[in-house]
Amino acid sequence: MRCLLLASLLLLLSIPVRAETVYRDEQTLWQDTVWQGDVLVDGILTVAPGVTLEIRPGTTVRFTRNDSNGDRIGEHELFIQGILQAHGTGEEPILFTSAESEPHPGDWGAINMMASNGENLLEHCRIEYGYRGFHAHFASARLAESTFRYNRRGAQFQESTVDIVDCRFVDNFNGLQFRDSTVTISRSLVSGGYWGIRCVYTTLHLFDTEVTDNMINGVNLRDSEVTVQRCRIAHNRRGLYLQRTQSDVSDNTIESNSEHGIFLEDSDGSIARNRVAGNGRAGFRVIDSPVSIVDNNIVGNDEYGLINDGESDLDIRGNWWGTSDVEALQALLRDGRDRSGVGIVRLLDPLSEARF
Amino acid sequence: MLIDLIRRYLIFSIFLTCCGCSLPFVEKGPVEPITISGVLNGRTVLSGSVEMTGDLLIPAGSELIIRAGTTITVVPSESTKIDPEYLSSQTELLVRGRLLVEGEPDNMVNFVPRIGEPTDEPLWAGIILDGADNSEVRHASLWKPDTGLLIIDTSPRVIGNWINRARYGIVVQGGAAKILDNVIADGEGGVFCWDGTTAYLKGNRIVDNEEEGIVVSRDSRPYLDRNRVSGNSIGLIVPADLPYDPTRIAGNGQDIRLLVEKAKP
Repeated sequence: MRCLLLASLLLLLSIPVRAETVYRDEQTLWQDTVWQGDVLVDGILTVAPGVTLEIRPGTTVRFTRNDSNGDRIGEHELFIQGILQAHGTGEEPILFTSAESEPHPGDWGAINMMASNGENLLEHCRIEYGYRGFHAHFASARLAESTFRYNRRGAQFQESTVDIVDCRFVDNFNGLQFRDSTVTISRSLVSGGYWGIRCVYTTLHLFDTEVTDNMINGVNLRDSEVTVQRCRIAHNRRGLYLQRTQSDVSDNTIESNSEHGIFLEDSDGSIARNRVAGNGRAGFRVIDSPVSIVDNNIVGNDEYGLINDGESDLDIRGNWWGTSDVEALQALLRDGRDRSGVGIVRLLDPLSEARF
Repeated sequence: MLIDLIRRYLIFSIFLTCCGCSLPFVEKGPVEPITISGVLNGRTVLSGSVEMTGDLLIPAGSELIIRAGTTITVVPSESTKIDPEYLSSQTELLVRGRLLVEGEPDNMVNFVPRIGEPTDEPLWAGIILDGADNSEVRHASLWKPDTGLLIIDTSPRVIGNWINRARYGIVVQGGAAKILDNVIADGEGGVFCWDGTTAYLKGNRIVDNEEEGIVVSRDSRPYLDRNRVSGNSIGLIVPADLPYDPTRIAGNGQDIRLLVEKAKP
């Protein structure tokens, strides 16, 4: 018996022990708290209204996996009703991750914000293996210079105002998904998911961002308002898909998407000075959308430059189509001349060369 | 009496286990009709008449087997849930585990949407194989799906199926599916090979679709052999340097369109 105890003691002594702050089951932070070092969340940790949780550079926050209903979604998470200030640095980022030895997307719930309208900030953070990396209801937040990867959804929010700058959403099942929100995304990358950006009833400003290599749609908005400027949307199944959406889409490169570069359905607005090139089925597919499509380079798309699948005729003015030959121009269109029940496309004043 | 029954059950279980079988699976059928939706964990076997009342997910590590002669009536919906990460707004069979559809040429598995108001639109999403390892879909009939089979990053065997009036007959994104002897007819588009797939398409009949018969993206390298492609708007769209068998591609608005090098900026 003594030998057994001694052996056990030696075994324990041989395991390196890391000092870490541990929260188990359901706990609430009732006063301002600072985290530094290693933190283990083995339950649901709530930050109470009016309380600030500050996380300092180099901190690692790990969540244990607990799937009580067998839906393969872990439930342990941070639930923030107060304020979160996660200040990592380039040299010492903050890591939010799974505590499992073989982690999987969805091991833990989310950095979950509810009715938190203070100065919430995630800066220089890496968030991985969550169900939703960042999730907010009725909240405001700024996400800066952070990476969201291997989550089921990189970020998801409803009824929130979120400013995203210099972030990377890579290899999540869905990159970003939001509803009834006001969102600005600048200088970011959204790549390697099924949907890149997917939202409804939202005002989205998308600037200087790359949306690439998503299996379904790169950017998909429904019943929304969107500004897309100086972005590159490439190698998705569909590039930019707008349904019942008011749009201002200018100075972008939309290329090499498998199906359509820009798909407009019952949408309105302006599409100007974009390069729409090398997309599979068509550069544009338009269904009953009285948009202004002006000054674009619509070149080198595999099947068609533009497909009109709506009942309305379309007047398209002043674009460069890669040719000035009238017959070749007509071959780039599929419209009411090719199939009954859809409107025709009139190309007015096509450019004789690219303007940019 | 009860003890005797339990003893017989145990003996039967041991016998099956010794034969390599296992008892704990869900055998649904032939009691009719069965309704089914949601997440199916473990091993599920369907036969007889089944009504799919909502999205159906076979998660990784689980298995769905559909016996020959099964008819699955799909209840259409335009707003099905998206958790846990379904891929379509319409009713879908989403497989991340393993799917075996065991139809036979004279005893097919039928997927039939329940018909409501007459519409030209697809009535259900179709079958989605999303990383579904070692799956096989044989001799199934799929009517009016958005996409008969959406195959993402996996290499199933898809043999002898009828896909009618689909928006997309089969979409292959990545992987190396074997797509043999299927009929894809009267829809919008036939087979789409995207995202670097090296699928093997042989002996398929892709006929009378409003738009394309077979589309191959510039980055894909499928093997195209003895496919009959006719009555489509454009028969075959392929990169100019991809070898293909042209012998049965005829009677389309345009039979073959070769993708030449992209226009330079």
